[in-house]
Parts: sequence; C-alpha cells; structure tokens
Amino acid sequence: MRRRITSRRTRLLAGVVTAVAVIVALLMSGLGRDPSVFASPLVGRSAPNFTLPQLNGPPVTLAKLRGQIVVINFWASWCTECQVEQAALDQTWKQFQDSGVTVIGVNFQDTIDAARSYVRTTAVTYPVVEDTSSRTALAYGLRGVPETFVVNQSGRIVNRVIGPVHAAALAGEINSMLRTGAQ
Amino acid sequence: MNAAGTLRRARAGLPGLLVLIALAVALAALVIVAVSGHPPASQAQQVQQIAAGLHCPICKDLSVADSPAPLAQQMRQEIAQKLRAGESAGQIRAGFVAAYGDSVLMSPPRQGVAGAVYYLPLLVLAAGLITAFTLLRRWLRTPQPDPPEADSPRLSQAERRAVAKAVARLREEEPG
Repeated sequence: MRRRITSRRTRLLAGVVTAVAVIVALLMSGLGRDPSVFASPLVGRSAPNFTLPQLNGPPVTLAKLRGQIVVINFWASWCTECQVEQAALDQTWKQFQDSGVTVIGVNFQDTIDAARSYVRTTAVTYPVVEDTSSRTALAYGLRGVPETFVVNQSGRIVNRVIGPVHAAALAGEINSMLRTGAQ
Repeated sequence: MNAAGTLRRARAGLPGLLVLIALAVALAALVIVAVSGHPPASQAQQVQQIAAGLHCPICKDLSVADSPAPLAQQMRQEIAQKLRAGESAGQIRAGFVAAYGDSVLMSPPRQGVAGAVYYLPLLVLAAGLITAFTLLRRWLRTPQPDPPEADSPRLSQAERRAVAKAVARLREEEPG
C-alpha cells in the first residue's frame, strides 16, 4: 500500500517537473533571442523584381541582372550608419564590378535633392536608384536602414545584413559565390 | 352555379395566399434589413481594417493603422492600391507576410511556439479540472466511518451489569 502511494507521488512529481521544464524551455528560447532582429522569410527565395529610376542614369531592372551577383543596399542620406558602410560598398563595387557583381543603392524615405547631394559629396560610384513609394522596400520586408540583401546568380536572396556591411565579410561571401556559381 | 363554385374555391384558398404574401413580405424585409444593416465597407474602411491587423515594422507596439511613421503611411497606400487592383484582404496580408514573416501580423497564427502560448494555459486548465474532478470523486467514494450509535455503546456484559446496578442504586436513593 505504502509502495503504491510512493509510486503515485513519484509519477506526480515527474509530471510537475516535466511541465515546469517545458515552460522554462519555452521561456528560455525566447530570452535567448534578440527581439529586434527578425529573420527574413525572403532568404532562400527569389528576390522581388523591381524597376527603379536611377539618380544619375537609366532605370535599373533587377531581372535584367540575372546571372550576376547583386548586392542591394537600402540607405538614406539621414542615416549615420549608412555613411559608416559607404566605403565598404564602394570598395566591393570597385573590386568586383568586372567579375559579374553589381552593387545597387536603393534610396529609402529621402528627398531626391538630399540623396543627390549625398551621392555627390561622398562620391558614390555604384548605381543608386530611388524608391519614392517605398514599394520595393516593402517587397523586401525592410525594417530600417541600412539593410543589405545579397542575391546570387540565379536571382535568389542568399543573405540579408541588418546594419552596416563590412568589406571583408562581403568580399568573402562574394568570392565563395563566384567559386561555386549559382546554387 | 359555376360562378358560385369559383367564388367558394377562391375564398377557401385565400388564407393560404395571405400566408404566402406575408411570408414574402417578411423575407423581403429581412433581406432589406440585412443589406442596409451591413452596408459594404468603403475602401477607406477596408484599408483601415487590414492595416489594423498589421504590425508597423519599424514601431514598437503600433499597428499600421495607428502608426504615424512614413513607412506605415506607405503601407496604407500600398494596401489601398492593392485593393483597387482587386486583391482580397487575405491576399494583401499574405503579401506582407511573404516579405516580413508572421511577425507583421498583430495576431500571429496559432502554430509552433506561438501556438503553445495560446494552448498551454488551456491544457493546464483542463489538466487542473480533470485532477480536481478525480480527487473530488475519490473523496466522495471513500467510505466514511459510521458514527457511534448513541443508544448502544459497545460495552461488555460485565460493564452493562455494573451500569444497570448503578442506575438501580441511584433510583433507590432518589427521594419519593
């Protein structure tokens, strides 16, 4: 009789411990994650196409760049972090433009005058387009600037960088993609 | 004779006809009330409804409908444009989810961890109720010990005899 009661108590205790463990595991999984960083559902999928007017040149259509690696950088003249990454993007463009890589700057929530002035004063060399309706930004699930998407040769988004990009990391990724080709 | 018969038949069918007319009038009234009671939402209202269900991606805790942020304004414009293009509310929501993920929805779908958050309290409540019911039923079924009978204390024969003697003695001692 006493053994039966002990066995029942053990089972009850095991059940309570399991329930508490499940709840703690759920809470811990949430605590370990930065709530301000959201995974983009677009990584691994086809990059949304766009045709946008260039600040100083003909319109740019993403679909026409199929077969190239495309680095799409959303930026604004009022964004200080965008100024930080400017050199890295320019360096990437100069280093890889003859290797089938295009860097495109997409101006986000800015005035055209401010954007043109920024491009002129910082001597941006890669193509810069304006997204006045933010339609492209919305299609890419943009949450702020700077954000950068890396699109492989088959038109799939392979990476999304929130915040400033670093030239070395970007070069490493591009070199790896150039070696392996579109996958 | 023929005219009288026709008249009689007409009179006999009149109540049924009246019932039919009354039913038709009632049905028409119901349709009118249903239609006028819920006028089709205007496009602005539809935009507001869809925007209220979407989380402003650059805000802390505001919906696209409530946020004054430029991106939220552009999302509202995008919703209006898609409605004009003939997209349904579901298609528009799905478009934003495709770009932003489930986090763009004010009420995330009840799947995965989010589903656990919804259903775990219900499961705990159900388990508690079942436990309480089981314990209560067990408690009610446990045989309770009979209360001791007042008129028949369990005394031995010797004790009964002693008690009888004591009672008899008391009675003898009573005056009168």
